[in-house]
Amino acid sequence: MTKEPVDVLIIGSGHAGGMAAKVLTEKGISCLMLNAGPVVDVARDTREEPAYVLPYRGFRPPSRLEHVFQSTEFNANVWVDEKEVPYSYKPENPYNWVRVRLFGGRSLFWSRQSFRLSDFEFKAKSHDGFGDDWPIELADLAPYYSRVEEIFQVSGSNEGISQFPDGNFIPDDSPWSQSMVRFQEAGKHLGVPLCRQRRAQGRDGLASSVNLLLPDAFATGKLEALQNVVVRELTIDKQTGLVNGALFIDRLTKREMSVKARVVVLAAGTLESTRLLLNSGLANSSGVLGHYLMDQIYGPGITCSVPEARGGKATADLMGGQGLIPRFRNISTKSDKFLRGYALNVTSRLGLIEPRNFAAYGAELEKKLDEYYGSGFYMTIMGEVLGRKENHVRVDKQVVDAWGIPTLHIETSYTDNEHNMARDAVDTCVNIAEAAGFEVLAKNSEPNPPGYSIHEVGTCRMGNDPRTSVLNKWNQCHDIKNLFVVDGGSFTSAGWQNPTMTILALSMRASEFLAEQMRQRNV
Amino acid sequence: MQRRNFVHLIFSALAVPRFLLCQQGKLNQPLPAPTPWTVGLNPATPVPTTQVADAVATTNRHFFTRVQMANLEKLSDVLVPASGGTPGAVAAEVPAFLDFLIAHSPVKRKILYKGGLNWLEFEARRQFARSFAQLGPAQADTVLKPWLRTWMSDHPPTETHADFINIAHADIRMATVNSKAWSDAPARHTQEQATVGLYWLSIENIPSGNLVAKTYL
Repeated sequence: MTKEPVDVLIIGSGHAGGMAAKVLTEKGISCLMLNAGPVVDVARDTREEPAYVLPYRGFRPPSRLEHVFQSTEFNANVWVDEKEVPYSYKPENPYNWVRVRLFGGRSLFWSRQSFRLSDFEFKAKSHDGFGDDWPIELADLAPYYSRVEEIFQVSGSNEGISQFPDGNFIPDDSPWSQSMVRFQEAGKHLGVPLCRQRRAQGRDGLASSVNLLLPDAFATGKLEALQNVVVRELTIDKQTGLVNGALFIDRLTKREMSVKARVVVLAAGTLESTRLLLNSGLANSSGVLGHYLMDQIYGPGITCSVPEARGGKATADLMGGQGLIPRFRNISTKSDKFLRGYALNVTSRLGLIEPRNFAAYGAELEKKLDEYYGSGFYMTIMGEVLGRKENHVRVDKQVVDAWGIPTLHIETSYTDNEHNMARDAVDTCVNIAEAAGFEVLAKNSEPNPPGYSIHEVGTCRMGNDPRTSVLNKWNQCHDIKNLFVVDGGSFTSAGWQNPTMTILALSMRASEFLAEQMRQRNV
Repeated sequence: MQRRNFVHLIFSALAVPRFLLCQQGKLNQPLPAPTPWTVGLNPATPVPTTQVADAVATTNRHFFTRVQMANLEKLSDVLVPASGGTPGAVAAEVPAFLDFLIAHSPVKRKILYKGGLNWLEFEARRQFARSFAQLGPAQADTVLKPWLRTWMSDHPPTETHADFINIAHADIRMATVNSKAWSDAPARHTQEQATVGLYWLSIENIPSGNLVAKTYL
């Protein structure tokens, strides 16, 4: 039996897809959501276990998730199996593609850092001449950021720093610990401000699509959803050139099915949305689909000890708390070593300092652990990766996944810009820490492999010129007006910021635009 | 809406037609006798308790050679000895566990370990004319200490020898802390506590609708 097309087909259920579903259904538009993996139920799918009952004593199961540094034996079952959905890269340029296909996607697991991009990102080319400006500016997105921050209950403090835009925050006026004050003072003398962290509090300990967005969409009665369906390609009406649905495969039975839709919203995550478009042979009149893959450099940083907290003298007044140093390089001055900049996460912590921070073993190490207990102070980088056309993905038809779908070949690497930035970050951390009187125990200037941050963006970027971009400023495909991409694929530059708030705000904005276009029958 | 309601909502739409079809099919089948084999287990059925294999059995070792294993035993004892009330790596049966873990690890890891243990043997014989496994504490320190480094997560030293010593140290310590022996002997508060965490079961094969069709097999 031929079924009626759905109004909007949403592919993906994470932050981007959840927001699209919420906005569209609340405007009375019927949506069907497809998700490649199963629904999770923590009460059913997890249990508390000591490591010693697990086969690998808590070690990451060997040879299973080599590119997911975040994985352990405890959480190994939540990540995409690299053998089930492989990808390739040149051996000299490894890529860590960290994926979750559970219903809710990576919105189930994220650090909750919640930042706005500033016009130093939206208008980056205008500022330093590199790359391209976004077709929008902060003022366009600010009202949507405010609404997203309300939904996600973002805590923070308005600082009045232009590269760290203020927002609609639950005020964070908790007192700084003494170690944080010392660090803040030391940073001030070096022109490096320490600010409050900004974090999505969510509800009931979770800030995810599945508890903050999808329940509202389901409550309208306008959303239906399928789990365990892997979309192979989008289908096209040959007469109009518009997309008219999708062909998908049941993940468990491999039954092939299709669905018709008036509009398709892609929200499968940056690289999966782009992979789907490449496999469908769509949206690439510009030739830039798959190009300008970006993320952020993670890994560099330092570990310190606060001397006054040693020997059992660590207290909650002295130690504890988190802060953020927003980008401070290349704002009012210009570095001759790199473009753009980085932020630093700063953490003061009571508790054990990890043994790797001491060049000792046996009884000597135990003595160090005793003495240094409760004195740990940490700084780690979040650095912008430049958008370069040569950093790209393409489909490798010779390698297919478990459902016969061609996989991605990822070709990307960091350049001197990123490496110089990392070194500058570590030097800066050491300078501030030493000025504060802290002892530096360990440091690292080498970035983790690209992809590690799980902040991959670009490859389907937005712009005003259809010859150099895939999407317009409304996340609408230049080539196909009833096709939208609302995940991180649309980013024109990466920024140093966790991209989640921007993805949510863009998805909200694009979905409201789409609803209005549908009302006016333009789509 | 509560999340569980939302989960049920998803399943309900998918599951009910399949469930009804299933029931219709059963009507046409003769009843199994004397008792339907699908009837019996229920939520009140007692669940047997089981033991951890490490507590009652010994791991058969296959991967490292006899000399390599002797050196790994020695290395484990030197790097993570018993301390106060907490057991050392040997009591936690770490060498046997690593024989199993490394045997299943990527080639790069295998080479690191085998090469490292061979180098310990070479270095001990060069410096002290005896096997590493036979060295006294001060002699072992002479071989190992020059290669100790501090490092940050995911970035162990890459320098030859320092890479093996520091990675093996981290592995041996983690395998010790995560052992039943360590768990049974509470660590000092300034030491790592035995890891207890939220373990995710496999959620691979959940057919649509099984939350609604509550039949007990």
